[in-house]
Amino acid sequence: MNKKIGVYVCECGPNIPERIDIDKVIEELSSMGEVKTVKRYSLLCSNDGKKFLKEDIEKEELTHVVVAACSPKEHENTFMKVCEEAGMNPYLFQMVNIREQCAWMIPDKEEATSKAIKYIKAGVHRVLFHDPLKQKELEINVDVLVIGGGISGIEASLSLAGPNRKIHLVEKTDSLGGMAGKLSQILPHQGSKIKLVKEKIEQVENNENIHVYTSSDVKEVRGFLGNFEAVVKSNQENKEGIEEEIKVGAVVLATGFEMFDLKENPVYGYGEIENVVSALEFEEMIHSEKIELKNGKKPKSVALVHCAGRKEKGYCSKVCCLYTLKFAHYLKDNLPDVDVKELYMDLCLPHKQDQSYFDQAKEKGVEFIRMDEVEKIKKSGDKIEVEYRNNDKADKVSVDMVVIAPAMVPSQDTSHLAELLNLPLDKSGFFKELHEMLDPVATPMEGVYITGCALGPRNIPESMTQSHATSGKILSSLIPGRKVKPEVKVSEIKEDLCTGCQTCLSVCFYGAISYDPFKGVSVVNEAICRGCGSCVGSCPSGAIRSKHFTYYQLYQEVMEALR
Amino acid sequence: MKNQNVLVIGSGVAGMEASLILADAGMKVHLVEKDSLIGGQTIKFEEVYPNMECATCMLAPKQQEVLQHENITLYLLSQVKKTEGSAGEFKVQIEKKARYVSLINCIGCGACYDPCPVSLDNEFEQGMSQKKAIAVACPGALPNVPAIDADNCLRLNGKKKGCNACEQACGFGAIDFTEKDETINLEVGAIIVATGFDQFDVSGLAQFGYGKHPNVYTAMEFERLYAQNGPTEGKLTLREERPIKSAGIIHCIGRKEKGYCSGVCCMYSMKFAHFIKDKAPEAEIHEFHTDLCIPGKSHQRFYEELSKKIDFIRYEDVEVKGNNGNLEIIYTHSNGKRDSIKSDMVILSPAMIPSKGTKDLAKVLGISQDSMGFFSTQDQNLSPIDSEKEGIFIIGCAEGPKDIPDSVSQAEAAAGRILSLLQ
Amino acid sequence: MEKKFKPNIVGFLCNWCSYAGADLAGSSKTDVDSSLSVIRVMCSSRVNSNLVLSALLWGSDGVLVAGCHPGDCHYEKGNYYARRRFALLKKIAEVLNLEPDRIQLSWISASEGKRYAEVVNKFAEDISKLGPNPLTSNPKV
Repeated sequence: MNKKIGVYVCECGPNIPERIDIDKVIEELSSMGEVKTVKRYSLLCSNDGKKFLKEDIEKEELTHVVVAACSPKEHENTFMKVCEEAGMNPYLFQMVNIREQCAWMIPDKEEATSKAIKYIKAGVHRVLFHDPLKQKELEINVDVLVIGGGISGIEASLSLAGPNRKIHLVEKTDSLGGMAGKLSQILPHQGSKIKLVKEKIEQVENNENIHVYTSSDVKEVRGFLGNFEAVVKSNQENKEGIEEEIKVGAVVLATGFEMFDLKENPVYGYGEIENVVSALEFEEMIHSEKIELKNGKKPKSVALVHCAGRKEKGYCSKVCCLYTLKFAHYLKDNLPDVDVKELYMDLCLPHKQDQSYFDQAKEKGVEFIRMDEVEKIKKSGDKIEVEYRNNDKADKVSVDMVVIAPAMVPSQDTSHLAELLNLPLDKSGFFKELHEMLDPVATPMEGVYITGCALGPRNIPESMTQSHATSGKILSSLIPGRKVKPEVKVSEIKEDLCTGCQTCLSVCFYGAISYDPFKGVSVVNEAICRGCGSCVGSCPSGAIRSKHFTYYQLYQEVMEALR
Repeated sequence: MKNQNVLVIGSGVAGMEASLILADAGMKVHLVEKDSLIGGQTIKFEEVYPNMECATCMLAPKQQEVLQHENITLYLLSQVKKTEGSAGEFKVQIEKKARYVSLINCIGCGACYDPCPVSLDNEFEQGMSQKKAIAVACPGALPNVPAIDADNCLRLNGKKKGCNACEQACGFGAIDFTEKDETINLEVGAIIVATGFDQFDVSGLAQFGYGKHPNVYTAMEFERLYAQNGPTEGKLTLREERPIKSAGIIHCIGRKEKGYCSGVCCMYSMKFAHFIKDKAPEAEIHEFHTDLCIPGKSHQRFYEELSKKIDFIRYEDVEVKGNNGNLEIIYTHSNGKRDSIKSDMVILSPAMIPSKGTKDLAKVLGISQDSMGFFSTQDQNLSPIDSEKEGIFIIGCAEGPKDIPDSVSQAEAAAGRILSLLQ
Repeated sequence: MEKKFKPNIVGFLCNWCSYAGADLAGSSKTDVDSSLSVIRVMCSSRVNSNLVLSALLWGSDGVLVAGCHPGDCHYEKGNYYARRRFALLKKIAEVLNLEPDRIQLSWISASEGKRYAEVVNKFAEDISKLGPNPLTSNPKV
C-alpha cells in the first residue's frame, strides 16, 4: 500500500504564527516524498477543526497523519480519536509539539521556525515506522479470592460478594475473626460493640456468595487482572492435603499482623517476671472480667508501658497509645482505687477524637509519664519496678502489675505470600503499596490488592475503610459482562534474539515478564505490561521492542535532530 | 439504589479519586468544585512526605483524567445550595458562578493576563504574590483556563464601563462578559462530601508574632514559598530577600485551642526542615515539637535520618519575639529549662480545621457537625465515612485531619460502598 | 567573522515528569536554548545505551536524558535503572574518545518548568564550551 501522509499545522490562534513562519514550514514539508498534503488550520482542536481534519483525511485518503500543534499531553487523544473516526488506525498518527516546546520557548522567530520544521520532519519520518497497533480486549472472571479471615478480609468479602460475584475467603486458622476477634472491646468512639465482629462473621456464614475455607492455605496464584488461577490447600483434619483449584479475577490480601515478641528484648522481663503481661494477655483478662495478679489479688497499681519494640522495629505502631488508654479507662472504671501510670515516649493521638479520650483519662486520675526509653523492668520484693530514662535522667516507678504494649509486626505469612505473588515488601517487612500516596491498596500486580494491617499498623476503622477501598477498586475494574482493555504500547521480545539471560525479569516492576524454560527465552505477558520500556533499556542483546517507542521510531527523531 | 448518578463535592485528591473510580465503573459523576481549578490543597505542595515525591507529577495525570473522563461532569466555581430527598433519590441544586472565560474556546495561552489593568492578592499563593483580575491560580493550574474575578474586574464591578482589555487580547473569542450565573438541578443516588480542610488562623495567637514579624510564616505560606510554580519560583528567601541562615519550625500551633492533634503536622514540619537543608545546607534548623506523632511505617526512619542534621527540641511552651529585625524564639524545654535562640525565619505548623463552607454545607445536606466542626460520621459503627444520613458519605479531611493515603483510601472506600450497594 | 558554534543536542525526556516540565517551561514562556531537540519516551529507563551512542556516533554534540526525580518514577523504579546505566555510558564515552560530560542525566519534575530551562541552557552552554563532537569534526577518529 502506498503511504500517504498528511501534515496538519495548527495555528492555535495567534500563538503559533506569532513565533513560527507557518508558510515556510509548509513549503519545507511539501517537498518531502510521501507527504501528500500539508495544510494549516486556525484551531484544530475546535469542533470545526476536528471536522475539517476528519473530512480531509477521508478526502485525501491518507494512511498516516502528523499534527503539529500543542503538547501531546493536551490533545494527542483528541486527534487519535479523529483519525479513528476517519477510518485510520489511530496509532499511525504522530503529534508534534510546536507550541509549548517551540513557539513558546524560542524567542527568535527564525530559530523557532527551523526548530518546528525539524520536529515536524522528525514526526513524518517517525510515523512511517509506526505499526497499526490494536487495542485488545480480554474476557474476565469477576470472582475474588480473599486471603485472611480477620476483620479486613471479612469486610472485603462482604462488600464484594454479590449475585454475580462469588468470593473465596481463605483463612489459615480454624475460625474467622482474626486479631479483632480477640479484643475485649473497641474504643468507645469507635463503638464499644465488639459483637460487631461476631455479627460480621455470621453475615459471612449466611452469605451464599461467600465460600469460606478455614484451616487452609493458598499454595499458588498465577495470572493477571481478570484471569487468576489459585490453588487452595486444606489443613483440616478430615480434608488434610486436599487441594482445590479456583479461578478468580482479583486477589485481596488481608493477612493482618502479629505482635512483636517481647522476649526478643530482655529489658522487658517478659516471660521472666510474674505479673508482667502483654497487651493481648490483658485483653483476655478484660474479656474474662478478671484483672488479677498471679496470687489472685487485685492489683493496686498498674504501669502501662508503651512503645515496646518501637526502637527495635523502627516505626510507631499508631494504635498502642489508644488501646493502652482504653486499658487505663477500664482499670479506672472497674478498680476505682487502682493507681494507673502510663509510660510513653510520644503520645500518638492522630484522630480527631483521640485527644479528648486522653483528656478524659487524665481527669480520671491516670498519671502520664514521659520517658525516652525503658531501661529495665525488674522484680523488687512484692513489687515490679520499671526503670526508665527521661531527658537523660534515670527514674523509676514501682507497681503491682505491668502491661506492655508491643509493636505490630508483619504476620508470618507475609514473606511467603510476597514470594508467591511476586510482591515487594517495605523496609519493615509489610507489603508495599503500589503508590504510598495515591494507590494505597494496590500492588504492582494489577488485580492484587492489600488491605488492613498487612500493609502496616492501623486501627480497625482504617482497616475496614481499606477493605471498602479494595472493593471499590475491584468493583470498578471487574464488571460482569465487560472486558478489560490492557495497555497497547507494550514490550515484545524477539525470540530469536533473546539469550534467556533474564535481566528483563529483574527490572520489570510489574512481573510482566516470565522465563520459558523450554524455549530458553523470556516472554512478555501483554495483559500485565504497562509499557515503561525498562526491559528494553536493560536488554543486552537488543531483543526487546517497545511498541510505539521502537528503536527505529526514536532513531528517526534522533537523525532528524542532527540533520 | 438504581440511580447511577453520584454527586461528589470537592475536587481535591479525595474527590478526584472517588470520582474516577465511580466513573470507571460506568457511573455518571457530577463533580462540584468551589474554585476555578481542580486539585484541592495537595497541588499547593511541591513535594510530599515521606518520599519527597513531586505532587504535581503525581496529581497532574489524575487531574487530566478527571478533565477528560466522559463520565465526569465538572462544575467549577460551583456550590451545592439545596438538597432534598433520600438515598437513591436526592434532588440537588447547584449554583454555578460565571467564569466569563469559555472552557471550550480558551486554549490557555495567557495572552489576556498582561493587558488586564487590575492587580490583586493571589489567594492561592497565600497573598504572597499578585495576580490579575483575569488569571489562573498558578502556572500549571488545571484546567488551564483563567477565570475573571467579578468583584475586582473593572468592567464587571462597574468601575470602568466598557473595559475589554482581556477580550481584545484574546485571539479565540473565549471571553464572554455576558455569561450569567447558573442554577443546575440534578437527581443523584448518592452524595460524597470531600470538602477538605483549611489552616487554623494563627493571627489570633499573638505570642507567635504572625502578621507582626514578616519572617514568621504559616505552613501553607512556606509550601508555596518552596514551590517551583509559587511566588518566588521556588527560591527560598526571607521577605527582604536575605538568604536563610537559621529557621525554627514550631509544631502544634492551635492544638490546645482546637483540642485535637492534626496527625500530619509533625511529618510536614520535618519535610520543611528537609526542604531548607536542601536549598540552604548550612542553615541551622530547630524543630520545636511536643509529642511526635509519626505513625506511618516509614515515618520514624524519616525522623531518625533528619535528627542527624537538625535539632529537635521538646517544648512545654514557646513564643516568638522580634529583636531588631531578627526573630527570637523563647521556650521552656520539657526538662523545665527556659532558653531562647535567634532565628531568621519561623514557620508555624497550624492545626487543620474544617474548610470554610462546612457549616453551610452541613445545613444544606441536613447532616451535623461534630464538636470540632468536621462533618459527623458513624464512628461508633466502625463506619468512619458514613454520615448520619444514608447515602451521604464523608471522605478525606472533611471527616477530620488525615494524610493523603488515608484520604485516598476513604475515597476509594466510598466508591466501594456505592458500587457494592448497586451490585 | 566566524559564526558562533551552535551545538546539536538530543534530549530524551520521560513522558510523566520531564516532558511535562518542559511543557510548563513553554507555557510559562521561559526562554530555552534551541540547541536541544526533544524526544519523548515513556520512561527514562527506556533510553538504552544504543540510543545514546547512536546519537553521539551520528554527530550529536551532547545527549541529555531527563526523568522523574528518584522516588517519583511513574513506573516506580525506572529512573533508578536509567541512573545505573549512565555510569557505564560515561565509561563507554571515554573509550570513544568523547568527553563524558557530553552526556548528562537530570531529574526534572512536572512542576519544574524553570529548572528545565536552567538545565537545558546550562547544558547547551557547557557543550558549546566543549566544542563540536570530535567524532564528526575530526575525520580521523
